[in-house]
Amino acid sequence: MEMNQPTSLDKRIQSLLVEALQVPPEQVTPDLQFGDLPQWDSMGHMEVMIMLEAEFNVEINADTIAELTSSSTIRKYLKDNGHV
Amino acid sequence: MSSLEQYTSLEITPPLEIPPHLVGEVQSKLAYVDEWIARGEVSATGDSICLQLRQPVDQTHQADIEEKVHRVVISMVKGSVKPKVQVLEDHTQRPTPYTDDPMTELVSLGEVHQETNGVFTLGPTVTRLIDFFEAQFLSLADSFGAAPYRFPTLIPASYLERVNYFRAFPHSLSFVTHLREDLDVIDHFAEQAAYDEHGLNTPPGSFDQIHTLLSPAVCYHLYFALADHPLPGGKMAVTSVGNCFRYESINLASLERMWNFTMREVIFVGPKEYVLDNRELARQRMAPFFEQIGLAYRVETANDPFFVGEFRKQAAFQSAFQLKFEIRANLPYKNSTLAIGSYNYHQDFFGRHLNITLPDGSPVHTGCVAFGLERVALAFLAQYGLDPSDWPTPIRSAVE
Repeated sequence: MEMNQPTSLDKRIQSLLVEALQVPPEQVTPDLQFGDLPQWDSMGHMEVMIMLEAEFNVEINADTIAELTSSSTIRKYLKDNGHV
Repeated sequence: MSSLEQYTSLEITPPLEIPPHLVGEVQSKLAYVDEWIARGEVSATGDSICLQLRQPVDQTHQADIEEKVHRVVISMVKGSVKPKVQVLEDHTQRPTPYTDDPMTELVSLGEVHQETNGVFTLGPTVTRLIDFFEAQFLSLADSFGAAPYRFPTLIPASYLERVNYFRAFPHSLSFVTHLREDLDVIDHFAEQAAYDEHGLNTPPGSFDQIHTLLSPAVCYHLYFALADHPLPGGKMAVTSVGNCFRYESINLASLERMWNFTMREVIFVGPKEYVLDNRELARQRMAPFFEQIGLAYRVETANDPFFVGEFRKQAAFQSAFQLKFEIRANLPYKNSTLAIGSYNYHQDFFGRHLNITLPDGSPVHTGCVAFGLERVALAFLAQYGLDPSDWPTPIRSAVE
């Protein structure tokens, strides 16, 4: 089966999660979600949010904090907002 | 006690304008900026901070205070997220007959006696009221088949460290120690210990290292009792009442904000749906009781009083995930409300940190319903006064 190649956006999301959560890149899988790693706890999640705001100009509000809780929802949100 | 006229005012312009939803939060943290601060107030517009200092300070000290205030404001305000306030119930328009501060009468009648800042003795009327409310809360616990537990007043420092408490709430900790086990140390202490207005004077090196604290919450004890094991049966409901301790410095005031208070909790441990469903069920079951006693209140989203360093992130997280709903009762005498209880959901925080697992190996979720007993009584008295003839019939007949 042919594997989907990671896009530039995928790589940027992975780098962001690596930096925000302070974990090795191999731990940041495409299906990673809040709670999967001890580092992605409430404080880690808010680090992710703050870096998303800085890196992609995402507005951080109660809705985005509650919704963007996985690598895949972050990817979808960024795509829906014009990032490729 | 010094009057405010004796204090020295210090006006500070915050480095960032403090938004309305953070005015109270920032103000509550001013108590911990400097020991000379007797009172701190943030203007409603968020563009001015007024401190009352116990004594005049020199320029260096003043600059130090200003720098620390700036640090507090920047840490709490910069990049803060406006909370999404959800009101689940609003009965604040419920008519109530009393408008005075009940503390004045409670003190004059000897119903409330202050031992020291934030520490109170309660007399028979308040005690009977609390017993009445306790019976209702126990009835709520029974409706969930909650098993009764008794937890200690002390809690090991190692426990609080394991759940990040020192980082999240350092300002409110209350420490417990004892004399070192050494005959000379104990003899010296016995000979020299004396109390004056500055505190207990003791010989240097009298005390052992701190291994225990006064417990800040009831439910932590249950989670530690369950730690590092699979949860028997996969879910459980527990109830307990206990003394809780949260030091709040100059914010300590009357029965509204006590250092030593009593909390009744109903605690749920299990899968996510079990905890969330029961938290909601508890709220629904309490509503008719509050209506029966005519309490004016609302239930809305809230956050815990995290300290400066963690406040911005933790409060935003709590609010976004609706982890905490407070029961806020009217205090007519100050046209304000007071949190008398809360419906809490901790997600799998304790399950993960304490390694408590469900049968499938995943961490348990936890939640608790907590009532501050003295605050419930105070809120009722603030709305109905001390004359039982003015009380709603169900509570009058039960207490008289």
